[in-house]
Amino acid sequence: MAQPPVIRVPKPARSSYQPNRPLSKSSLLQSQVKHFRDLEKDLPPERQTGIPIDSITTEGQAAEYIRRMTVQLHRPPGGV
Amino acid sequence: MMENRSFDHMLGALHAEDARINGLAGNETNPDTANEPAQVAPQAEFQSQLDPDPDHSFPAVQKQLFFGTPGPPAVAAMQGFVQSYWDQQHNVAHSHKIMYCFAPGKLPVLHTLAQSYAVFNGWFSSIPGPTVCNRAFAHYGTSFGQVNLDIFYVKDASESIYERMLAAGRTTKLYYFDPSSSTQEVVNLLKNQPQIFGTYQQFLEDCKNNALPDYSFVEPNYSDHPGDDGGELLASDQHPDHDVQAGEVFIASIYDAIRQNPDLWQSTALLITYDEHGGIYDHVPPPACIPDGFHAPLADTNNMPFAFDRLGVRVPSILVSPWIAKGTVVPGPEDPANGRVFEHASIPATITQHFIGNYDNRTPREKAAQTFLDLLTDEMRPDSDCPTIEFE
Repeated sequence: MAQPPVIRVPKPARSSYQPNRPLSKSSLLQSQVKHFRDLEKDLPPERQTGIPIDSITTEGQAAEYIRRMTVQLHRPPGGV
Repeated sequence: MMENRSFDHMLGALHAEDARINGLAGNETNPDTANEPAQVAPQAEFQSQLDPDPDHSFPAVQKQLFFGTPGPPAVAAMQGFVQSYWDQQHNVAHSHKIMYCFAPGKLPVLHTLAQSYAVFNGWFSSIPGPTVCNRAFAHYGTSFGQVNLDIFYVKDASESIYERMLAAGRTTKLYYFDPSSSTQEVVNLLKNQPQIFGTYQQFLEDCKNNALPDYSFVEPNYSDHPGDDGGELLASDQHPDHDVQAGEVFIASIYDAIRQNPDLWQSTALLITYDEHGGIYDHVPPPACIPDGFHAPLADTNNMPFAFDRLGVRVPSILVSPWIAKGTVVPGPEDPANGRVFEHASIPATITQHFIGNYDNRTPREKAAQTFLDLLTDEMRPDSDCPTIEFE
């Protein structure tokens, strides 16, 4: 029986991982942080992250802020 | 939907293997700042080549398109990409890299899927500008007048495709990669409609369990960050300067999750597309389009009037399904008789047409957008004809 063609997918280089890449290099991530900050202002104080936006200077730090905000926002209706 | 790569950058070199693919002849040039021609070359690398991130703000893209012309409404000359990239670093040699493309086979996933299923010669970004406003067209069929990265606010009764689907009794989900990557441009929906969101991991499980909704939108990982287990998660969005190979793995994983489930495989169409060109060279002038009823603020356009009446730069788009004839090339503007023009408003237009039917509460732009499910044939290809994935 004929076998389907196979696409072999190489692994990226380990050196590609750069969570300390400056946030200033990505206007996209900067805007994503700003969008979440915009929403954070409307959250009750107990649900805000307390992270000063100016302290976010790397891609990894942006990811952590976005994670905390997403966890706050992505709740089922009526959830706590 | 991936990030920031032009059609010619990713797929243009395939023209040498299949002349129907409207890629690069190899002699395309842009003048550099020394007025020497910078030629396209199959020398694109996975990472560390397009640093700094090429400018793709609205004003920069106008330079990329209209350099050497009087500007719109003239046809774009596509001669300003090198000059625009030079503006960022004033390095002539580096500015030439904006012309580079990936050699055939260097992107085994994208190149094989393009040649195995349907590749669009005429799929354009919706706006000659950056990510957020372009992605908005995939969700709303409009950016509500914005041409930049600002958070956008819904200015009329237009509903997202997800809200439309739910109102019509259909199922839908927007899968972001994980909470650290989250979603772009629809964070308002995250707050107000949390039930429509899921994660990449949930997408994989839903594929396995025959639980995919009627319509799914999958977002890549937008950042390098640690995983829950402390491991290293690479950004997979292919946004410069993220590793393009990580995006290949991501695309392969989405395809593989569908391909591995026989029921899902025969009932699913997978569209792989890119939000915009990211400032990288493409040779096809963007065509005019039906306006969406908005006018961009002059402060955002460097005082150039813009009525959303022309499209952005061409991006790679591939439609995958066993119901698509092998090696389908959907003609674009290069074929005046049969060519078709698609853009991101084609996504909600297609989903609305297929799942909802008549639906009036959307922009003229989306109503006029081409839909693409007619590319599916009534003959399913044998399993042996459809590629499988092997992760190394």
